[in-house]
Order: sequence, then structure tokens, then C-alpha cells
Amino acid sequence: MILLENITKNFGKLKVLKGVDLRVDEGEVVVIIGPSGSGKSTLLRCINFLETAGKGSRISIDGKIVHRQKNDINMLRKNVGMVFQHFNLFPHMTVLQNVMVGPKQVLHMKKEEAQKLGIELLEKVGLADKHNAYPQMLSGGQKQRVAIARALSMNPQIMLFDEPTSALDPELVGEVIGVMADLAKEGMTMIVVTHEMWFAKEAADRVCVMDDGLIIEEGTPEQIFEDPQTERAKQFLQMLL
Amino acid sequence: MESLQLIITSLPSFWRAGLMTLQITAAGVFIGLFIGLVVGLLRVSDSKLSRYPAKGYIFLIRGTPLLLQLFIIYYGLTSIITIPPFPSAVIALGIHNGAYIAEVFRGAIQSIDKGQMEAARSLGMTKSKAMERIILPQAFKRAIPSLGNQFIIALKDSSLASTIAVSELLLRGRQLGSSSFRYMEMLIVVAIWYLLLTSLFTLIMHRLESHFKTS
Ligand SMILES: Nc1ncnc2c1ncn2[C@@H]1O[C@H](COP(=O)(O)OP(=O)(O)OP(=O)(O)O)[C@@H](O)[C@H]1O
Ligand SMILES: [Mg+2]
Repeated sequence: MILLENITKNFGKLKVLKGVDLRVDEGEVVVIIGPSGSGKSTLLRCINFLETAGKGSRISIDGKIVHRQKNDINMLRKNVGMVFQHFNLFPHMTVLQNVMVGPKQVLHMKKEEAQKLGIELLEKVGLADKHNAYPQMLSGGQKQRVAIARALSMNPQIMLFDEPTSALDPELVGEVIGVMADLAKEGMTMIVVTHEMWFAKEAADRVCVMDDGLIIEEGTPEQIFEDPQTERAKQFLQMLL
Repeated sequence: MESLQLIITSLPSFWRAGLMTLQITAAGVFIGLFIGLVVGLLRVSDSKLSRYPAKGYIFLIRGTPLLLQLFIIYYGLTSIITIPPFPSAVIALGIHNGAYIAEVFRGAIQSIDKGQMEAARSLGMTKSKAMERIILPQAFKRAIPSLGNQFIIALKDSSLASTIAVSELLLRGRQLGSSSFRYMEMLIVVAIWYLLLTSLFTLIMHRLESHFKTS
């Protein structure tokens, strides 16, 4: 279970997050939607400390507060997988090496073991046959599936996705969303920023609408998509449809 | 016609001098690579305590002529320590190239997409691990063309060692030129030698580049 309390973040004078509270239980899938610039990416980045949240912000995992020190942060990052909009695969490594590097370098897993794990995960995302390819030879959808396998290689408790399909050609979105839906079915705890409505409707337990640095509304997909309460959420959803 | 003949027949007598030029350059570049990597990494560090000394080093070395640096090491330090000509030349070339190579590495490191470091950190890698495994391998590859350039400059700069009596190509040319009264011919021989060596360097760098491109 991950608990975010009063998450704030300023970039200079710009207040990007204004005190976000969010609780995600084990096995829950939470989708975050909201207009551009509302702070969705920043919130995800604060969760695994790619950005340092402001004073008074509190992040805890399974009841334990994550303190702002190296050990805590590295520990947290091992438990939280992240998938980025632009994949960020390591171009100097093969697909398999991309998936092995975390277990090998961080968990000090033996090479054979890491290799076995890597192949398993690549099978899971349907890319075992590409294990010797370099990222630049893959399509966007394949790249993102490798990135998901790479994040899974650390056996995280929670997966964060920041618009994983928005850099993809429309015909490649499905394969990535499919892998994510499978993960959700297996009970992975997920926080997903996406505007793919059918993923939200199919897989999400809860949808949060962010606007201007705050979660302004949250509820089941039905509640949010069919009967939004706030004016801002209504406006935004109308734009999406 | 007779000059051309003299040039051709004199080429082999510069063999040892050419080797000396190569030795100064290779040793200088080697030291320069080492200094450059260390200073370059300090230069991109988050801590001011590391960054400022690196900046200072680059400022001092790039802001003064190599010849001056060579004289400081060879003549200037005599009150403290006497360094023979060859090591003086190597040290000067190393220190000098260190500053330029540091800037090459800095540029290459900073040109790597930020997402690479973030992806590595999000896997739980420490900063230094991410640097070693993710950023530097990519940065090295990207630095190769500029490094090659710098090596060729170093090769030519090694001619300054002639001013402190290291018997490399230029000094050899001047000596043979004045003893035979055929200055022009001997200097042309020196030029040919430099062209051969720089071409060799260029060839090696191209090989290296295409090797890294395919792997
Ligand atoms: N490193 C940064 N420095 C300064 N401002 C930043 C930085 N990162 C984000 N911002 C600003 O913070 C605000 C929120 O950005 P964020 O990326 O979190 O929005 P978002 O909801 O993810 O938007 P999008 O849907 O476009 O991805 C934006 O105004 C952005 O310009
Ligand atoms: Mg975003």
C-alpha cells in the first residue's frame, strides 16, 4: 500500500503540486487523468523521488515513511517500477541486457539467473524473439513493452506509468495497453497517467482527475466518466470525447 | 628534381624522430585522457566542491599557451625539481590535453538524454553506478570524433618539445637542415612525416568510429 500525503512541489515560483493526497491499496489500479500541465507527471516523479517533493510532503509504503535520504530512496526505487513516455531504453544494450541490468547491477543477481529472468519477462511482453536486438531496431510499441519488462525485472510492488502510449502511433497503442491490462489482472498495484479511456474503463479500480496541482475528483471509472461532479472535470472529459 | 630526390632519400633518416614524436603524443594523450576523464566527471558533478576546482583547472590551462606551460615545467620548476626534456614534454602535453579532453567528456556526458539517468535511477542504481553503466558508455562513443580531433592537435603540438631539445621530428628537421644547408627540403620532409602520422591517426579514429557504430 502506498500513501501520499500533502504532496507539494514548486519549480521556482511555479506551484505545480498543491497538496495532493492519494492512497493506493495493494492490487489497486489507479488511473490519473487531467489537462496538460496539471502536474500528473510531476506527481509520479515525486513518488519515486526523481523530483523531491516540498516540505511537509509525506510518502509511505506499507506504513513506513520514506525519508529523504539515499538508503530510503534507493530502497523505494527498487520497489517502484517506472515506465516513461519516451521509453528511455538504454541504446547501447541489447533488449535482454536492458532487462538484465537492474537485477545484475542493483540486486547483484548472477548472470545466468538474470538472463533467465530476462527471457521470462520478455516472453511475458511477447518479445522473447527480439532479445538480441538493439532498441533502435524496434517499433515504438515494442520499445515500450521492453521498458515494461525492464521495470518488472526489479520485481516491484508498484508500477508507475507516465503516458506510456502517448508517443506511439495509434496502431501500436493496443499492444502496450494489452500488456498493462494483463499486469493489472495479475494483481499488480499500478498508478497510470493515461488518456486511453478504454484502459481506464477496463482496468482501473479508480480514476483521479487532476487539475492545477490538485486531485479535484476521484471515483470509479463509471462515476467519473458518466457522472462527473465538478465543473472542471466535466469540461475536461468533454474535451477528451 | 635534385631537391625531390633529396627529400625522398632523407625520409628514412627521420625514423627515430618520428618514433619520438609518436611516443610524446601517445604518452601525453594517455595522461590527457586520464586527467580529462577525472576532471570532466568532477566538472559535471552536483557538488560545487568538485565542480569549482575542475572549472579552475580548465580555465587556467585553456587560457594559457602550451609553450608557456612547457617552459614552466621544464625551466620554471628547476628550483624545486629538475625534470628531463622528454618527461617534461609528456607532462605538459598531458596536462594541456587534459583540460580540452575534460571539456569533450563534459559535452558528451551532458548531451546524453536526461531520461537515461532517470531510467537508471528508477531501477535503483546509485548515481555512480548509473554513470558507469549507462551514461559513460554512451558518452564515450559520442566523444570519439572530438577525441580524434584532439589527438591530432596533440600530435602537432608535440612539435613544441623541440624547444626543449627533445629530438622529435621538428628538431631533427632543423638540425639536418642547418647541417646540410638544405633547410627547405628538410622541413618538407618533416611536413610529410606529420602528414603520414596524422593520416594514420585519422584512419585509426575512423576505424574506431565505425566499429562502435555497428556494435
Ligand atoms: N523541471 C521543471 N522545471 C520547471 N517547471 C517544470 C518542470 N517540470 C515540470 N514543470 C512545469 O510544471 C507543470 C506541470 O508539469 P507536468 O509535467 O507535471 O504536467 P502534466 O500534467 O504531466 O502535463 P502533460 O499532460 O502535458 O504531460 C507544467 O507547467 C510544467 O511546465
Ligand atoms: Mg506529463
